Amino acid sequence: MNTTDKLDRILRRDAAEELPDAGFAARVLMELPPPRPRRAAGLDPFLVAGSAALGSLLAVAFAPSEANVVQGMIDLFQRQMLTPAAYASIGLSATLLVSAVLLAREG
Amino acid sequence: MSSDGAASDAELIVAVLERDDRRAFARLVERHQSRVRTVLRRLTKGDMALADDLAQETFVLAWRNLASFRFEARFSTWIYRIAFNAWQSEARKRREVAMDLDDEAPPEGSESYEEMPDIVSRMDLERAMAALSDGERAAIAACYYADLSHEEASEALGMPLGTVKTHVMRAKAKLKARLAQKEPT
Repeated sequence: MNTTDKLDRILRRDAAEELPDAGFAARVLMELPPPRPRRAAGLDPFLVAGSAALGSLLAVAFAPSEANVVQGMIDLFQRQMLTPAAYASIGLSATLLVSAVLLAREG
Repeated sequence: MSSDGAASDAELIVAVLERDDRRAFARLVERHQSRVRTVLRRLTKGDMALADDLAQETFVLAWRNLASFRFEARFSTWIYRIAFNAWQSEARKRREVAMDLDDEAPPEGSESYEEMPDIVSRMDLERAMAALSDGERAAIAACYYADLSHEEASEALGMPLGTVKTHVMRAKAKLKARLAQKEPT
């Protein structure tokens, strides 16, 4: 047997020697961050959708009378971007878009 | 899927990612701790306490970053990369790690390999490994103890492939020469 084989064998035999765990895995587990708080399965989509619906309702309820969402859509369609109603529509659309993206990611 | 001994590494990782399953992670640690600790013991020149601290840090980092694990790679290759990084960071804290090539030649008598014994003690091997440069020791640890290919070692150590091969060649010449001077045990 040549010396390269011999050295390879010595190194691989040393590497293959099994070290007993001796509590090592338990010590690692103790160092892990605390478990994530558990939420009921499937709750997240309802939270996102509920928050979006509530936000939309509040936006519509408290928006100034001239910031009517339907009027905003009409304004946007007529390329009148700077009216309060147009701003309200853009905000509402953005909220719903973000909710849709979050729900899609959950799915 | 269960987190028992028959589950593959990939199945255990999925259990951790999907269910925060700590028993599954414990199985991964139990499965890989021996090799990771051995690699780190050789890298730290036999400092067992430091090696175990670094191994613990390695597995905690693996837990934190498990979501970035790519399933086309072996988990062992991935965890060794973390272990090498942990060792390099620790070594840099103490002093600069010289991972590039040095011009140090193998010791005198490195050509008379015929005297190398069939069996060497762990102590002699540790001493011989400790005499290597950081780069040479890292290359041997990666290619023999972590059982990585030269390409995988190059990636794990952040060294060019040619440097890994040269380190391995020089390290083996030095080890042969040093071990040849020892009496069989």
